[in-house]
Amino acid sequence: MSRIGKLAIIGVAAVAAAFGLAACGDDDSGGGGGTIIRGTTDQPISYDPAGAYDLPSYDGIYAAYQNLMQFPPGATKPEPEAAESCDFTDNSNTTFECTMRDGLKFSDGSPLTAEDVVFSFERNVEIADPNGASSLLANMQSLEAPDDKTVVFHFKEPDATWPSVIATASFAIVPSDVYPKDKLQKDDFVGSGRYEIAEYEPGQQTVLQANPEYTGEDPPQTDQIINQYFDKGSALKLALEQGDVDIAYRSLSPTDFDDLETAEGVNVVSGEGTEIRYMVFNLDLMPGDNDEQKLAIRQAVAQTIDRESIAQNVYNGTVEPLYSMIPQGLDFANDSYFKEMYGESPDVDAAKQTLEGAGVKTPVPLEVWWTPTHYGTSSGDEYAEIKRQLDDSGLFDVTLKSTEWNQYSTAAFTDKYPVYQLGWFPDYPDADDYVGNFYSKTSFLNIHYNDPEMQKQLAAEKASDDDATRQAAFDKVQEIGAEDVPTIPIWQANQVAGVADGVEGVEETFDPSFIFRYWLLTKSD
Amino acid sequence: MSSHGTSLRTYILTRIALAVPTVLILLTIVFLLMRVAPGDPITSALGARLPAEELEQRREAAGYDKPIPQQYVEYLGNVVTLDMGESLTDNRTVTSIIVDNGSATLELTIAAFIVAVVVGVGLGLLAGRFRDTPIDVGSRLFGIIIYAFPVFFLGFLAQLLFGSVLGWLPTSGRASPLVEFELNQITHFYLIDTLISGNWSQFWDVFTHLILPAATLGLVISGVLIRLVRVNLLQTMRGDYVEAARARGVGERRIVIHHAFRNALVPVVTIAGLQFAILLGGAVLTEQTFNWPGIGSELIRYLDQRDYIAVQGIITIFAVFVVLISVLIDIVTAFIDPRVRYS
Repeated sequence: MSRIGKLAIIGVAAVAAAFGLAACGDDDSGGGGGTIIRGTTDQPISYDPAGAYDLPSYDGIYAAYQNLMQFPPGATKPEPEAAESCDFTDNSNTTFECTMRDGLKFSDGSPLTAEDVVFSFERNVEIADPNGASSLLANMQSLEAPDDKTVVFHFKEPDATWPSVIATASFAIVPSDVYPKDKLQKDDFVGSGRYEIAEYEPGQQTVLQANPEYTGEDPPQTDQIINQYFDKGSALKLALEQGDVDIAYRSLSPTDFDDLETAEGVNVVSGEGTEIRYMVFNLDLMPGDNDEQKLAIRQAVAQTIDRESIAQNVYNGTVEPLYSMIPQGLDFANDSYFKEMYGESPDVDAAKQTLEGAGVKTPVPLEVWWTPTHYGTSSGDEYAEIKRQLDDSGLFDVTLKSTEWNQYSTAAFTDKYPVYQLGWFPDYPDADDYVGNFYSKTSFLNIHYNDPEMQKQLAAEKASDDDATRQAAFDKVQEIGAEDVPTIPIWQANQVAGVADGVEGVEETFDPSFIFRYWLLTKSD
Repeated sequence: MSSHGTSLRTYILTRIALAVPTVLILLTIVFLLMRVAPGDPITSALGARLPAEELEQRREAAGYDKPIPQQYVEYLGNVVTLDMGESLTDNRTVTSIIVDNGSATLELTIAAFIVAVVVGVGLGLLAGRFRDTPIDVGSRLFGIIIYAFPVFFLGFLAQLLFGSVLGWLPTSGRASPLVEFELNQITHFYLIDTLISGNWSQFWDVFTHLILPAATLGLVISGVLIRLVRVNLLQTMRGDYVEAARARGVGERRIVIHHAFRNALVPVVTIAGLQFAILLGGAVLTEQTFNWPGIGSELIRYLDQRDYIAVQGIITIFAVFVVLISVLIDIVTAFIDPRVRYS
């Protein structure tokens, strides 16, 4: 045999041996003995609370830090966390006082005091990081720590939502002797939460380890959590099926979940979610010769859309039809007005009457925009289905247009699109965070909607911490919103995850707060 | 008749000097394209959450409203001082992006290049040596088919077969999550780092993670090399000196290996070197398919977020690297073929 032939045989044999050995090798990649690996396509921006205003960063911050207030699992109202108690101290809800718990410590062993709380809020405002949430503190006039255990906030306007605002991860408490006052902390993160951030490799993983200095009554159930990042949902799904990760949460497609339902060793778990999708009308650009016709067109669209069909046929049941801009599961949500006005099922005859009554000629030409690069891979299917529903009614002639997110997110709010797709997830789980952002005259939507009664009710719900008063105000807001329908709610998403056999706790953390509580997770071998 | 010719040193210095304006032009184009494209990092992240006025305030605070010429001068100044800045979206220094993610891409690219050379040169040599035999036909067919395969599709097939069906190899990442955490990163080249630390379990984990992506990318590139080596080998085999060697009774194997093959390698070195440079950018599809945390994947992510600081920094390094490789190829070619450097 020639030398080349011998070399070729040796080469092939070496490759085969490598494959054989690889097949026999140990696979400890799924973690074990107190380690849970969660895979996700979401990547954090910053683990310094002052630089974070995104869900992926929040996941790590809620684990590693404490806030004055927190949302326990399943709760829709915040409860004290680092604080022992918090409450408004005046009738006008412009002064809010918190008393700190005793014995709190940061992960480096230093004590957590009221001074650290003041420092955390002040630096958030001073840094005003472009990616941060300092704008949520716009109503805060000042704060002080009269002693080691007391923090007092003063507001410009009454703000009943403040307990929820300060429960947001962006306002977690950081150590005043470690974190700089005028810039973000880039590494060596120190918090007082249930976990420490042991390692953060951008684009690859975050590793959380149980914080031995944590003084709370609910320590983590698992010692180590690895958050592994994936570029594509397909790679994440494969990793879950192969046992490389224990949990796949955000973001797999409805089709992926369908497939995982029958996969061995994997379960699909779901729970309440408060992420919503809705359709927006620019009142200046939308079709219609006058305000009456424009209103009729919006109402007719609301009467024609079949939400149940979208939920089942496009999203395979992973979303629920939505009939209010406040999703179900939150306090004060009331979808009765919308359902009463437009029905739970499409009513083309009613839509036709609505348009005829306003003298609108049909079919109404409607230019509807959506984006394929921000709201998931099913957006195209969703809007194709909406187009089909509206066109099939004979009342509309829909032209769909799309553009990628960067262009979309500028054009949509600068009077370029007459009708367009949007989504929302909460800064904090309070109804105000929805309607206050959509219906306010200073709304980021910039759709030229300004109803005086609506503005009055929005101010009323924000100013009062009395549930009955707020419910009445929110009822009125939802009633007016249903009548004027400047935005049409379409669906709210359930939170869904693929979970390996033996892993528990994921369902317990799925609630309207959108907080992924790593400390509830357990894994049996 | 040509002049007395250019010395090798002058040739090298000329090539290096020409690299500077090449890189400058490329950087300018990237800078302008990023400014012309709609969007910015702040709008990308918060465009559907904050009012337009506040977005504008944040853009001003971040300096996005500075005049373009001013931004350009600052940008060039940073390049010269090797201060590439920090990414706007996740506050990473561009240097750390290049070190961490660039090393991942380089490790993948080198491994893929080795696969490409071994398979491509090997099969090309066989095809040329056994011309018009089943070995020749098979090798050429393999080269055409493998080069026609989109690399991500080949990657999916590899993941399906060796990952899902056979369960032999991992299908994503540079290492298992636990190994990645426990690895002592010294050089940021995982294979080398595990060897330095002497942890064979970690070495094996990292090696098996490298197999599929390197083989996928390498095989696709080998298709080019197979045909190139074969064609050049056949050409050199027709040379007079080969006939003379045969006439002197030199064995066919010795003729192929020691005479024809070496001369056939000259253009192959050039193409192979360029392929290596292309691999750096072309690895992005492989990186995305196998969740390999390389610089190509990061570039896509930063482009999507309009993080022009990070994009500029990454493309700068790409440009410098490709230009340096080109210069190196020219130097190597001039070194092994003296005809190249004489005008």
